[in-house]
Amino acid sequence: MTTSLTSIAHNVAHRALIYLHDHQDTDIFPENIPVEPDDPDTVYKPVSEIGMAAALVLREGVGGTAQLRAARELIDSTWRKLREGDLLYERQVRNCLLTDPIEVYCHFTYGGHRHRALEQLTAHNAAVRSMPEVYPNRRLAVANAYRMCGMSTDDDWESLLRATWLGATPPPWAIDWDTAYSVTHTVFHVTDWGARPGDLPPDIADYLATWLPVWTDVWAEVGDWDLVAELLIVDASLPEPRFDLDVWTRFAAMQHDDGLMPRDGEPVDDDRVRRFWDHHHATVVAMVAGTLAVSRLLDTGR
Amino acid sequence: MEGLLVPVNVERLQVSLADAAAEVADRVLGAVGGAEDIGLADYVHTGADTTTVLGAVRLIGADVFAPHVLLGRPVHRDDAAVVARSFTVYPPTPQPTTRQQHVTAWRDWAVGRLLARTDETSPAGSDAAPTPETAAALLDGAKTWQEWSATAAQLSPLALPGVGGPIVAAVFAGMRPLARGVTRAVLRRDFVTAARLIRWMALSSSNGVRQPLDPVLLVERIRLYGGTGSRLALDLAISRVLLRMEPA
Repeated sequence: MTTSLTSIAHNVAHRALIYLHDHQDTDIFPENIPVEPDDPDTVYKPVSEIGMAAALVLREGVGGTAQLRAARELIDSTWRKLREGDLLYERQVRNCLLTDPIEVYCHFTYGGHRHRALEQLTAHNAAVRSMPEVYPNRRLAVANAYRMCGMSTDDDWESLLRATWLGATPPPWAIDWDTAYSVTHTVFHVTDWGARPGDLPPDIADYLATWLPVWTDVWAEVGDWDLVAELLIVDASLPEPRFDLDVWTRFAAMQHDDGLMPRDGEPVDDDRVRRFWDHHHATVVAMVAGTLAVSRLLDTGR
Repeated sequence: MEGLLVPVNVERLQVSLADAAAEVADRVLGAVGGAEDIGLADYVHTGADTTTVLGAVRLIGADVFAPHVLLGRPVHRDDAAVVARSFTVYPPTPQPTTRQQHVTAWRDWAVGRLLARTDETSPAGSDAAPTPETAAALLDGAKTWQEWSATAAQLSPLALPGVGGPIVAAVFAGMRPLARGVTRAVLRRDFVTAARLIRWMALSSSNGVRQPLDPVLLVERIRLYGGTGSRLALDLAISRVLLRMEPA
């Protein structure tokens, strides 16, 4: 079973990586569209997420030569789209309280990309300790970003975690779609994207081990593959992942031949550009889920 | 001749099995929540189709004894006779083989067991205990929690004090799949299934079994978020008594 699951997860990650790698051209990202338009969610966020996923492939290093080369090319091309970090730096200079520049930047450091001026700014901001008010799981994202960059902060991880929905371990039936995403991100940041499973307190790890299968089942049933992918990352980040072969098999079966992972059960458009912009997020998440699952499966020898 | 005809309620002429089961559930619910008798015999005698009503009694199963086992109310002799008769009209499967037949056999067994507490003689077959192996097969710990909880929901009429036996013991040993099943049902807004499973939580809780979830909150959740229907209302009412909650 382990072999087949490793193979399934590897294929999901590999095909998603190839898809994203093959969609970095000017048809998808026209030169005249600024990466940072008025709404940062349109291009800036997707580019950053693709860079992060590529960074995680490099960090885990569990792919073959071709896969690692594709990940290297992908992180380099997204770094160029961020103007080698100048875009992040300029955002930070204009808005000293923004936290996204450091959150994006920290992943690129895994790819060897550094921006000294940005690091000086963010180190200074960390020392000033003027944190904007954000959702508790977002606050963990900032804490993890500083940790990834090796910048010391006096963050109290336990109290940051306990301020989240997950940290309070509410009844698992009193969750909704948005909060399910909050749960996943709380785990991503506390465990540094699956690198520190032991940082989840035992009661939280037990809570997730008990209820994650239910949430995964419920959202798989309605074909919410984007959220299912996020929940699979959570599973791979637990001290004892479940690695449910049935769920992984159903999830992998949804992936298109070119590697696109549909975000939901709705029909996927035929237009290449439209397909990318509709489904890039689910594909990014699938790539991370597959990568972390393979890595943990090899680590644990399961 | 006209004077000899008993006035007939037209609505009762047009009764379906589902309607009859809802009526029986309502009568049990009234007895659990109030002071009146179930009046099964009365319902059979005034109903349009005795066979349909007896089928409904079989569907509701051991729950017709809920006022007796939960609140110590006496079982009216005529009502016990109706239960016994339902087994004559719908005899148990002599040799259950399929999963569904085993579920039904255990439900029948529970009825027979509680019927035996009355003066009524249990009809042949209703109190014959299925083998403990079939209980283990139905609620095997190796099953997925989805299968396990679906079976536990079908066996919910056994979630009454005084039934006992291997099914109850097997469910008590499965608090985790039970809680997962309840959570799944609530998230899918399948409140009927959720209420059935909550009965098991309520019964095990009243027996001191540790729960992963608070059944009191779940009972209120379903009541307040759209749980309706006679069957569901009866399941919730039984859970409330088991959990010593105030009547809704």
